[in-house]
Amino acid sequence: MTALPLLQTPSPGLKIIVAEDSDLQRLYLCSLITGLGFQAIEAKDGATALDLLARTGAEIVISDLDMPHLDGVALTRKIRALELDQYVHVIMVTGADDVAMRDKALRAGVDDFISKGSSTALLKARLQTAVRLINHAGELADRTRIIKATNDRIQQDLRAAAAAQRALLPDLHDDIMGFRVASAFVPSAIVSGDMFGCFALNDRKLGLYAVDVSGHGVHASLLSVAIGYLITPDYFRTHAFDAQGEPDLARMVTALNDRFSASENDAYFTMICCVIDRVTGRLDFCQAGYPAAVYVDQAGCAVPLGDGGFPVGMFRSATYENNVHQIKTGAALVICSDAAAEAENPAQEIFGTARVRDIARTFPERGVDDIPHAIVRALNVWRNGEPLEDDLTVVALERKNTHDTHHNI
Amino acid sequence: MIHTTTFDNGFTIIRPGAARLTAANAKTFKDEVTDIINGGANRVVIDFKNVSFLDSSGLGALVGVLKKVGHRGELVVSGLNSDVQQMFRICRMDRVFTVYKDVETATQSMAEFQ
Repeated sequence: MTALPLLQTPSPGLKIIVAEDSDLQRLYLCSLITGLGFQAIEAKDGATALDLLARTGAEIVISDLDMPHLDGVALTRKIRALELDQYVHVIMVTGADDVAMRDKALRAGVDDFISKGSSTALLKARLQTAVRLINHAGELADRTRIIKATNDRIQQDLRAAAAAQRALLPDLHDDIMGFRVASAFVPSAIVSGDMFGCFALNDRKLGLYAVDVSGHGVHASLLSVAIGYLITPDYFRTHAFDAQGEPDLARMVTALNDRFSASENDAYFTMICCVIDRVTGRLDFCQAGYPAAVYVDQAGCAVPLGDGGFPVGMFRSATYENNVHQIKTGAALVICSDAAAEAENPAQEIFGTARVRDIARTFPERGVDDIPHAIVRALNVWRNGEPLEDDLTVVALERKNTHDTHHNI
Repeated sequence: MIHTTTFDNGFTIIRPGAARLTAANAKTFKDEVTDIINGGANRVVIDFKNVSFLDSSGLGALVGVLKKVGHRGELVVSGLNSDVQQMFRICRMDRVFTVYKDVETATQSMAEFQ
């Protein structure tokens, strides 16, 4: 990323509008100003001055107080109301020290005063002050512009990264091997620390995993994308089965733990991974700090599966357990990241696992397709429309009736 | 962000000065506790009595300081509310940290096993 160059700072030579109805006084001021190296622009009344200001981009106005059409104070008000990109420094020429008039002029937005008949030295000093302020304002505007341009570029990069990350995630509204699978993914920042996948491992087994990297934002998303590229169907086939070809998800999680425990920082992730046999409905899974999956039968009876497990990448010596559950035909499995249970409402109550389970329980009426978005909607209501503070992933899967799919034997 | 009380008998009680230990303050928490450990504190109770919520970053920081203490001393936690306890259970942190219901129980128990 290259720094944008600062614009050249304005120097004497910059334009000064002289608003003065007296020809003699105007000519006198203009010759003084030109003599000081500025470019003087004559305006014989306030209305002309305003018109010239918009057309010339002048940054200093020296205005008489009493003028026909638009007097000095009214002219100043109009200048301030224009809200121009550049700040216009207004110097009022007054006849005498009239405190009440000066108060009124200051309130209208006048910056400085000089008395009629002031010396060239005094005028020069006033203009130098004005130039200093204009330079300062210009530098600030440049910095703001650079910060905005840099920020725009970072946002653009993040959106590109988010699109790349999204492309890694499956679009789960589909039938895979006789399972109906639906998902929802709501990153809390532009990029996310969540990752999940669901795919056929062979003609009988379905592989499913969800990962939640600790923290969120860019740092977490880099790790989640790395994990997304690592955990492929091939990775499942080579790591998630034992020597006899039986599912051994703890083996896969142990391999991941070995790989990710090396780093010295506090980054770790929680995960759940499953292998489901489409013929027998046998679910083998390993839970590594990820919230328990919820099993819901056709009657709407919901139970959490598993009693926890160490996160991955936290302790090299951690051991992991295999769990088994039977998924009956017509029953469903709901996996949901902790962003749901931990979501707080305006009264700072957490949503809790019981509410997640209550939504999972509505699966028989709602159908599996609507479960992920029902959870998203409920969280939106719970948070009164406020975005979640953590990345949310929901995957719901139904083992369909065998006659529903031509894949079955 | 942490409040520390050190007792003559060698105990250091640390209380996070925030109701939520999250990504927003986890690093500060870890750095400040690490300074105390590096300063020689080796019998440390981190009291979560006033902490209502701990997210994954907060847990990461807590494990980080536990690793920092290592075998040089003892670090225990106390005062976990039911939500934090639930998180400890799901992540098996109840097998990694010695958890006491409050500071008094923690210090009594640690003194007995001195």
